[in-house]
Amino acid sequence: MNLTLPRFFWSEYRKRRKKTSLITFALFWGTLSTLLLMAFGRGLTIQFGKAFNGLGDTLIMVYGGQTSLEFEGLPKGRQISLYPEDISYLRERIPEILRIVPESYGYLQVSANGKEINRTVHGTTAEFAFLRAQIPQPGGRFLNADDEAGGRKVAFIGWTVANDLFGRADPVGKSIIINRVPFTVIGVLQKKMQDSMYNGPDAEQIYIPFHAYSQIDSRRRLNQIHIQPLEASHSKLIESRIRTLMGRKTRFNPEDRYALFFWNTIENNNTVSAIFTGIEIFLGIMGALTLIIGAVGVTNLMYAVVKERTKEIGIKLAIGARRRTIVGQFFLETLFLFAKGTFWGFITAFNIVSLVRLIPLDYGSFNTGAYLLRPQFSLSIFFIYLAIVGVLVFLSGLFPALKASQANPIESLRYE
Amino acid sequence: MIKLQDITKVYQTGSQRLEALRSISLSIRKGEFISIMGPSGSGKSTLMNILGCLDTPTSGEYVLDDDKVAGLTFDELAAVRNRKIGFVFQNFNLLPYATAWENIELPMLFNGKSGKKRKARTTELLKAVGLYDWRGHRPSELSGGQQQRIALARALANDPPILLADEPTGNLDSKSGEEIMAILTGLWKSGRTIIMVTHNDGIAARCERIIRIFDGRVLS
Repeated sequence: MNLTLPRFFWSEYRKRRKKTSLITFALFWGTLSTLLLMAFGRGLTIQFGKAFNGLGDTLIMVYGGQTSLEFEGLPKGRQISLYPEDISYLRERIPEILRIVPESYGYLQVSANGKEINRTVHGTTAEFAFLRAQIPQPGGRFLNADDEAGGRKVAFIGWTVANDLFGRADPVGKSIIINRVPFTVIGVLQKKMQDSMYNGPDAEQIYIPFHAYSQIDSRRRLNQIHIQPLEASHSKLIESRIRTLMGRKTRFNPEDRYALFFWNTIENNNTVSAIFTGIEIFLGIMGALTLIIGAVGVTNLMYAVVKERTKEIGIKLAIGARRRTIVGQFFLETLFLFAKGTFWGFITAFNIVSLVRLIPLDYGSFNTGAYLLRPQFSLSIFFIYLAIVGVLVFLSGLFPALKASQANPIESLRYE
Repeated sequence: MIKLQDITKVYQTGSQRLEALRSISLSIRKGEFISIMGPSGSGKSTLMNILGCLDTPTSGEYVLDDDKVAGLTFDELAAVRNRKIGFVFQNFNLLPYATAWENIELPMLFNGKSGKKRKARTTELLKAVGLYDWRGHRPSELSGGQQQRIALARALANDPPILLADEPTGNLDSKSGEEIMAILTGLWKSGRTIIMVTHNDGIAARCERIIRIFDGRVLS
């Protein structure tokens, strides 16, 4: 291949750089703004999803209630409570249940390290971790089956509890006093986003084995039961089976909507998924519109720049340039421009996204920063953007050049 | 060397039909110095464009160096222009972004001459037109006369046997015009065929033959 012509084109391109700098900037800006918009939009959706799943992603919570219908001669208005034995009763009768966990809690005095606070203390079992997204920080762990079986006095604490009692020191292995009973801290909850909660965010909670809890709180009844179905699609069936079984056991009408309460995150998830899809579509449309506006601008500039060079094309044709030489030159120049503008747009967007992601998050509930400061860069979006803008830019750069190269050289020479 | 037989050129714009050339026949021998004269709109530029393979006739036959030009494709015509014809335009038509050197080198780039040959030929031509020291300048940094000399050097880059000059002195002062004419006359004397369009009787008188055109026909 004779490289002299491309070399000459490169030198011409370099001399004309100032003239085309507006196109390069438009391409740079279009790439940067579209990629940032999509990255922040995607990040927002992901953070929303994380926050929503902070409570647990496939979770049904059951609460006791009060009957609103008379049943088999019993009056309405009776209190329906859940008890520890209901766990095995339901597990044995509903095969669609994967995990079922009891939970009791009370607002108790907690002290350590000379400090005294009041926090909600929860008694539960090891499987609670799977249902309620309780991931320990490195060096610690959540409650396990041996803690329960061995009657151990151990505690898993939220990160604000750790901070309140121990400051920056590692609380694992240290002792805390709950209701005058000493417990050993075995783990601290890893920071997470959480937008759904009861009794406040998990960061402020203390979890101890169910058996140990029953020793400091004499109430037998449970505050709630957590259930994870084998498959998410079983959730409605499980709800209705629980109403039937508990209705039979504690004698209430299974149709009674107030005898038991359900907090079904799976059903809520479907609604939220629809909202997220809506947000994604909205951002997609915004991105597409930004892209079209940018592409129209670039197309216009490109067309004007090529049109301005009609005479130059005429001169080259007159002194013996072939069509493919002319078209080849514009193709190469468009390629240089396109590569330069989009490359710097990509690099800048990538760096902005990376820098923003370095900003530490405040995991306090409903903190705006936590939703906005984790933009997610997407290479696939970049490639889609490249394909669309590439086609538009090449059409706008090549079409007038092609037209000029096919015209009579005289016409091009006369062009002013 | 050049033979035109019954050449017509018709421009059709919508319903309007304009006959720029009407059945023109003429022949030009190798080494002739010819001027084409005629009032504006007489068809002399159209004739020049057809002679220069920049345009094709509507009908008729054009033989250049025993080759029929009529049936050639766009790129074949480009190759003919590149090898056999050198153009000099009234308004120079140099590439504004390229230096004097690059402007002269370009026709050689288009026909694939090696770098060594290009360098030697460009140097030779720049020295011949007395502008070697101006080789790194762009057209905007040169006077009209200097630009036309660069354009002449470019026209000679591939050593074409025919030189077509469309009012080469039209935009120049008399001194620069005289310099260009001196170069053209020198080229003719060295055996090149030169065809020049001009309005200037004095310049035309220095040619071997004058072809007068009026209303698309050859008068003499």
